[in-house]
Amino acid sequence: MPGVDHCLQEAMAIPGAVGASIVDYTTGFPVATTGAAPNSDHEAAAAGTADVVQAANSRALYVSALPHDLLEDLIITTAGGYHLLRMVQTDFDSRLVLYVWLDRAQGNLAVARRRMQKLADELVAS
Amino acid sequence: MTVTASKTVSPGRLLTQVAGERQTGVLVVGGHPGGAVYVLEGRVIYAESPAAPGVGELLTASGRLAGRTWQNALDLGTSTARVGRLLVEQGHLTQGELELCVLGAIYDAAYFALSPASASVDFLTGATHWLGPVVHVDPAAINREVSRRVGLLDEIFPDARVDTAPVAAVTRPPRERVTLTSLQWELLVHADGQRTPADLALLLGRAGYATIQELRRMAALGLLELPEVRTEALEFVRLPRARGTAADVQRPVVRPDEAPTVPVVAGVRASAPVPDPPPDPPRHSLVEESGANQLVYRPPRLARRKPGAKLPKEVAGEPPPAHQGTDEVLLKRIRTALRALR
Repeated sequence: MPGVDHCLQEAMAIPGAVGASIVDYTTGFPVATTGAAPNSDHEAAAAGTADVVQAANSRALYVSALPHDLLEDLIITTAGGYHLLRMVQTDFDSRLVLYVWLDRAQGNLAVARRRMQKLADELVAS
Repeated sequence: MTVTASKTVSPGRLLTQVAGERQTGVLVVGGHPGGAVYVLEGRVIYAESPAAPGVGELLTASGRLAGRTWQNALDLGTSTARVGRLLVEQGHLTQGELELCVLGAIYDAAYFALSPASASVDFLTGATHWLGPVVHVDPAAINREVSRRVGLLDEIFPDARVDTAPVAAVTRPPRERVTLTSLQWELLVHADGQRTPADLALLLGRAGYATIQELRRMAALGLLELPEVRTEALEFVRLPRARGTAADVQRPVVRPDEAPTVPVVAGVRASAPVPDPPPDPPRHSLVEESGANQLVYRPPRLARRKPGAKLPKEVAGEPPPAHQGTDEVLLKRIRTALRALR
């Protein structure tokens, strides 16, 4: 049975992964973390992650363009890396996002996105 | 099982102390809403508060688990403290779901239990929670997160009345176009002017803190009626109406040797050698506010109370029970069990 720690281990096994965490995006709190974080600060990274997700969810109009069109993931690319945010949809009330930081040279965006989709689904599906 | 004497301290500090000593037990925080934090060898394994839906409420209110499934797990696992493990072993939940749900519930309840600067706190050594250890959280991380959450709320809208008062939407929004998140919509639809934020959180199976957060956001947008009670509502006591012979605290003490023959009836004050009456206590602000053509409300003459001082017995009435937090936690558990039986 994959738990939270197992999920993060798997995330770190994605080629190029530097760090991973699960973040509560209403409070900007890292529920679980592993590996490195931007500026070596998982809590600050989580707060920033929360801001980005909130902005996409509530202040951008992309999400509500169609009925039942929910936010799936956010990808931010920088010169040095990829930052992938994958929404974790639970049946019970929670607002969680899986965050993986990839090295730009070693990471593959398409592979990472597929792997994260699988991880987020496995975490909550029996 | 030993119980420390109830102390009025900072719950967060006591948690740090208990964790430093690697103790096992439960920290019961009194007051409103209060709560309980369960510690296993210095690590937090669960927390609950009447203002925050517990794991059972979160899982059943959302429909993730049928009430019967949850109750079965409670019946089987409560005595051996392995309700959580049972649910996973029986295939009702994945380990990931259970862990995420418990983590969410811990931080949510910890906010309500640990945010007061001081409260009456008991530590019951040896107590464990029936859910069993699902996750182990560093108490320092919890304390840090609680104080961060307190600050976050004030950044949104610095008015703590919103957190506890019954929720009522304004009848006419203060702007032409209003955009709501789905949780905000849910809260507004279910706000009936009676339900408090804690009621709404339990009813909807939403985290208590997330509920308060959205309510503060809506208050900042001007979408909620703000309660009229003042911020210092905790010390506000409605005085009884002045009646013919109100209990007069300033009544001079009549010593038997001073007035031996006077029967103790209504006329005592007039006949006893009264010293100069003390100057009127400063008027209640209510008196100034009432207009000239209105009845002037004259509060009964009471000695002016220092902030925080106790009311005299005849006015204060029944004191609240000492361990309210414990009672509420117990009542909440009973309610969860009853709900599952439906």
